[in-house]
Amino acid sequence: MAKTLSLYVERNTFIHRVDSINKILYVLVSVAIPLILPYKFVAVLLILISISFLLLAKVMRRVIPLIEFSVIILLSIVIIQGLFHAGNKTVAFHIARITFYKEGLSYAFTLSMRVINILLAFAILVLTTKPSELIEALVKKGLSPRFGYVLSSALQIIPQMMSAVGSIMDAQRSRGLETEGNLAVRIRAFFPLIGPVVMGSLIETRERAMALEVRAFNSREKKTFLNERQNLRSDNVIRLILFSILSLSIVLRVLL
Amino acid sequence: MKKIIVENLKYRYPLSENLALKGISFEVEGGEFIGIIGRNLAGKSTLCQALVGLVPHFYKGAYSGNVEISGMNVLENNISELSKKIGIVFQNPFTQITAAKLTVYEEIAFGLENMGIEIKETIRRIEYVLHLLDLEKYKDRNPFELSGGQMQRLAIASIIAMKPEIIVLDEPTSQLDPQGSEEVFKAIQSLSREGITIMMVEQKIEKIAQYADRVMLMSDGEVVDFDVPQKIFLRDDLLNYGVQAPVFTRVCRSLNIKNKNTGLYPVTLDEAYELMVRHEQNRS
Amino acid sequence: MNKRRLWSFSFTTATLVLIPAAIGINYIGKLFAGVLKLPLWLDSIGTALASMLSGPVVGAISGAINNIIYGLTMDPISFVYALTSIAIGITVGIIAYNGRINTLWKSIIAGVVVAIVAAIVSTPLNVIFWGGQTGNVWGDALYAYLIAHAVPVWIASFLDEIVVDFPDKIATMIIAFLIFKGLPRKLILLYQSGETIEKLD
Ligand SMILES: Nc1ncnc2c1ncn2[C@@H]1O[C@H](COP(=O)(O)OP(=O)(O)OP(=O)(O)O)[C@@H](O)[C@H]1O
Ligand SMILES: [Mg+2]
Repeated sequence: MAKTLSLYVERNTFIHRVDSINKILYVLVSVAIPLILPYKFVAVLLILISISFLLLAKVMRRVIPLIEFSVIILLSIVIIQGLFHAGNKTVAFHIARITFYKEGLSYAFTLSMRVINILLAFAILVLTTKPSELIEALVKKGLSPRFGYVLSSALQIIPQMMSAVGSIMDAQRSRGLETEGNLAVRIRAFFPLIGPVVMGSLIETRERAMALEVRAFNSREKKTFLNERQNLRSDNVIRLILFSILSLSIVLRVLL
Repeated sequence: MKKIIVENLKYRYPLSENLALKGISFEVEGGEFIGIIGRNLAGKSTLCQALVGLVPHFYKGAYSGNVEISGMNVLENNISELSKKIGIVFQNPFTQITAAKLTVYEEIAFGLENMGIEIKETIRRIEYVLHLLDLEKYKDRNPFELSGGQMQRLAIASIIAMKPEIIVLDEPTSQLDPQGSEEVFKAIQSLSREGITIMMVEQKIEKIAQYADRVMLMSDGEVVDFDVPQKIFLRDDLLNYGVQAPVFTRVCRSLNIKNKNTGLYPVTLDEAYELMVRHEQNRS
Repeated sequence: MNKRRLWSFSFTTATLVLIPAAIGINYIGKLFAGVLKLPLWLDSIGTALASMLSGPVVGAISGAINNIIYGLTMDPISFVYALTSIAIGITVGIIAYNGRINTLWKSIIAGVVVAIVAAIVSTPLNVIFWGGQTGNVWGDALYAYLIAHAVPVWIASFLDEIVVDFPDKIATMIIAFLIFKGLPRKLILLYQSGETIEKLD
């Protein structure tokens, strides 16, 4: 029931052991390079690299739910742009009596590669990194521990509140109360049930804030960490590689 | 040595009209167990929060007077500094969970990490409080998955791990079921045995009678009386303050069974039982 | 009198604890809309409440972190829409300051303003990432119709967005107003009080 909101998949692979800061850097580099080198094949190459990392991390199957929503929109983009894009001139093909145009399809392809590239790079980060480790790594890198708290707490409180509401809704449905029918009826049936959860969560903030204060939340001492991650030698090597690739792409941009 | 010194404490919440505390003064010795009673809105919670520095540092508002906790002035020290000397446990166990930690073990560590306590010492303290509050079995559980009583013991453990000399308990069992309440009261007794000074607000008057060395009766932002339970529960005007004397006291009073040495009525079951037995023996 | 300033950047513990609660409420709204198959998102009720309680800065941060977390756990593209959430937080915070969302009518007007701001911020993002679409069936149908009739992408995209934003943000502000009205005074005072301790006597 109560668990933290996370897509992390526990596996024992090299990718999982990579420092979370490096995974964030990987995302940034993957987003930056197609902007620096705006060629279709660059985006495709990056996508292939991300896919191989996801395979190495044995999490490829978990990628699908993560990108599902975006892919559906991308499909609709292919159709709408293929049919109606402003620059459409050259006919690509016909399906029944409907005509698709090259310019629109090409534009839709560029958009799709851009989005999928970002999605896959993110997938590596979120599927192979424990949120608590990610947040702690950020705090060690200088994120305020108080904001680190906000992130960790949100990840725990969201599923907490969702499961409270979920069980109310289930109970309501099993009693045969309206989830169908007239809009106003549906809303009226649920407001009084969800209201208390929402109000409660706000009212609780006063006491939780006090409870944190008396546990030295605003202490000016240097914080210690119960879970210390051992730095690996590979951490620095990976960081170096990422920076080299980024620099290389900038150099290429200037030369080409 | 005096653990708590309060001198003419006055306080008004921000954007409010009336004083919530109207010039309170008292002192508490180390190791004492103090019970606080009084009707709704008497100012009990406000006083508790004034001892740990939440009043005024958290709420702001208007403040005067002097509160010293183990020689530390509350107004001049921040809440984190004060937390080394004094801790507090509230009613609702759920809101006292940080909601940022995944296990009971890590939850207890939260305050110690913030204080910058080194890891070896942190681990030592966690093991100690897990044992003291009988939470060893649950150390790897998610705090949200505990029962109310277990959660409240976790809240107490998290405070005790910070090694305060004084702990304030503001109706710690009012939201628990009977079993959870008993667990928590047992835990509180073990804290008292460890020599920790305790201030407890509690509606269950029998528990106050059983544990408290002295009882503070509050009304309308003032301390009406502060004395041993036997004397407090002797007051004829107790009901005016929304408090009823423990049932044993009332029974013995109606039967006129007193402690011969002190001339006072008993307040706990054991005491009442003993006096009644003696009373019967004397009659026969 | 001692009252919290509009652009306060001091994050008290209470304001920080408010942020996860606000995000949780956003999620509940979204779930609620999904289960009841409402043609709305209802995913910024919490952000609006955070702004009403604690001002534009805290509201904006709630909005941003909301999208960061949604991006990390559901849909990475939601990251970029953090900008829209920030704009919503700021707008509601400014309107709410001094209690200007205190009747049903005023909350509806606030909803209209918020919808316009949200659509203005979202449109460029929609164009960059989705060629102007929003992913909402009704909005996208309108969009397809408009660009098929040679309406410029920017205008088509703005209309696509605002068709959904008007009802959604108005409903959001009405719900936020009703919840806010039910909150205890103690809580509202906590968030509105200033930052200094006065001396009595
Ligand atoms: N956060 C707050 N903001 C404004 N006023 C408050 C706040 N908390 C308490 N008060 C006021 O201060 C006075 C004392 O309240 P307090 O909560 O200290 O009483 P109490 O004895 O603990 O009552 P209860 O038995 O209900 O817990 C009351 O008049 C109350 O309305
Ligand atoms: Mg109280």
